[in-house]
Amino acid sequence: MSTNNESARLDSCPVAGHEPSLASASLKDPELRAHPNEFYWTMRHRDPVHFDEGIGMWLVSRFEDLQAVFADPVVFSVEAGFKDSYAKGFFDEFKAILEAEGGGFFPDAIMTDPPEHTRVRKLMEQAFTAHRVKQLEPEITDVVSGLIDRFADQGHADGVSDFAVPMTIEIICAQLGIREFDPEKIQRWSLAVTAQISQMQDREAMVRNAKDICDLQNFLIAEIRKRQQTPQDDLLSDLIHARAEDEAENTLTFEEVVSLARALMIAGNETTATALGNLLYFLATRPEMQRELYEHIDDDRYTTRFVEELLRLEPPVRGLARTTTREVELGGVTLPAGAHMLLLYASANDDETVFECPRKFDMARKNIGRQMAFGGGVHRCVGLSLARMEVKVAAREFVRRLKDIRLDMPVEDVRYLPTVATRSIEHLPLTFSKR
Amino acid sequence: MSTVTVTLVQVDGEVITIEDAPVGESLMEVARSRGVDGILGDCGGGCACATCHVYVDPAWEAKVGKPDDIEEMTLDMVSHVTRDNSRLSCQIKLAPELDGLRVNVAPAD
Repeated sequence: MSTNNESARLDSCPVAGHEPSLASASLKDPELRAHPNEFYWTMRHRDPVHFDEGIGMWLVSRFEDLQAVFADPVVFSVEAGFKDSYAKGFFDEFKAILEAEGGGFFPDAIMTDPPEHTRVRKLMEQAFTAHRVKQLEPEITDVVSGLIDRFADQGHADGVSDFAVPMTIEIICAQLGIREFDPEKIQRWSLAVTAQISQMQDREAMVRNAKDICDLQNFLIAEIRKRQQTPQDDLLSDLIHARAEDEAENTLTFEEVVSLARALMIAGNETTATALGNLLYFLATRPEMQRELYEHIDDDRYTTRFVEELLRLEPPVRGLARTTTREVELGGVTLPAGAHMLLLYASANDDETVFECPRKFDMARKNIGRQMAFGGGVHRCVGLSLARMEVKVAAREFVRRLKDIRLDMPVEDVRYLPTVATRSIEHLPLTFSKR
Repeated sequence: MSTVTVTLVQVDGEVITIEDAPVGESLMEVARSRGVDGILGDCGGGCACATCHVYVDPAWEAKVGKPDDIEEMTLDMVSHVTRDNSRLSCQIKLAPELDGLRVNVAPAD
């Protein structure tokens, strides 16, 4: 009976009551990936740790089960999951291309398990504290204003290609210290890297993506070489020359520096760009929120909560992978060793046992900080403060400069990138007028 | 390196006393390395995740001080469990004058 009561409660919130059949549903289906919340609801209520035959992964859907996974990074391994899912189906061929043309195959130095993970992670944490990111606010505001100025007079722009993508690229390149770059190339590289965890890549795409990743690595290796002799005041130099007091050698190997630079450039770019696309979609489809945000534009508490609730409601990362290193029980299901899992952050953020009326945008939520858009545990997104700051500044400057922001396409025509890992709007044509 | 003694009371009531907490480290780092329940420190001390939230014992509030604006903002995200004496333990740097510090670990919910 409790399930019926919950259904009734959910119906009173802004969400449809339709219940898709789990047996026939899969994240392989683009329609379902575009509008997944009913699927998530059904999983949480009927089969919370659900095997999705279409993608061959166990989907973990409830907040409490994700918490259990985050708490045990050794049994629920990122490293094993990464190895299983990376370039799925074509791994050896992918690796060979990178070794031949991309300076080498550099395993991701951050997608590892403790204790190895701890050493690398500590270095990254120092670069992205909330206090350090606060100092970047004026610089980020300049980038955002500059981009908006380019299209403010035209009355129209694409929220993704004219704003979200170039904004995140400019900011992460400035942090890394990379002064000359081609934003279009960087976007292509980003898509190539994220495609490796998309579960949607065929062989032809893999070869194309592998070549793009070779380009990316060769670009980064050249930038790293420049800084090996002469350090500069930038994040890339900090990574290369990082050394603890008691260490004789630099903390990170060359391979690790390449892989971390690659991770920063892509992670600092793709996911935040997705969040910015979601922000602009949200504003364009919620005119009352444009007005409310404008009224509170200089209220830091308001804008901070606005961003956090937006990240809860529309998390850019749908979910990331883990693999079990032994047989383990989770959410009433016994998973074998080697079970390949997708932790659905988006479903955890939609869990009505933690967030009442989860489909409702409600900035007054007291437990707003529990939202899982950044994951949790030792792998929680290390760039979370920077991402929040980027979304906050973008929200603020967009409504400060522009009004009557509207979607310049039927809402049902919005398409998403073909990946299970994120829910990223592909194109977002907007119209607006200058304030 | 000099050390101080700090005491953390877990949500379950268990009292953990750490007698050799190094001056200069944060209370979060010390508590996490001893496995104190409820001190996760997910973001690594970056004042960004509120998973190292403690209530400072009233006798120590003045010495520990108040959160700054950035910490206030992070604490505001978990206002369902904050109190006037809430602090993020990653922002409490251990110093000789904090020898004897006592805090209660805040619940997640």
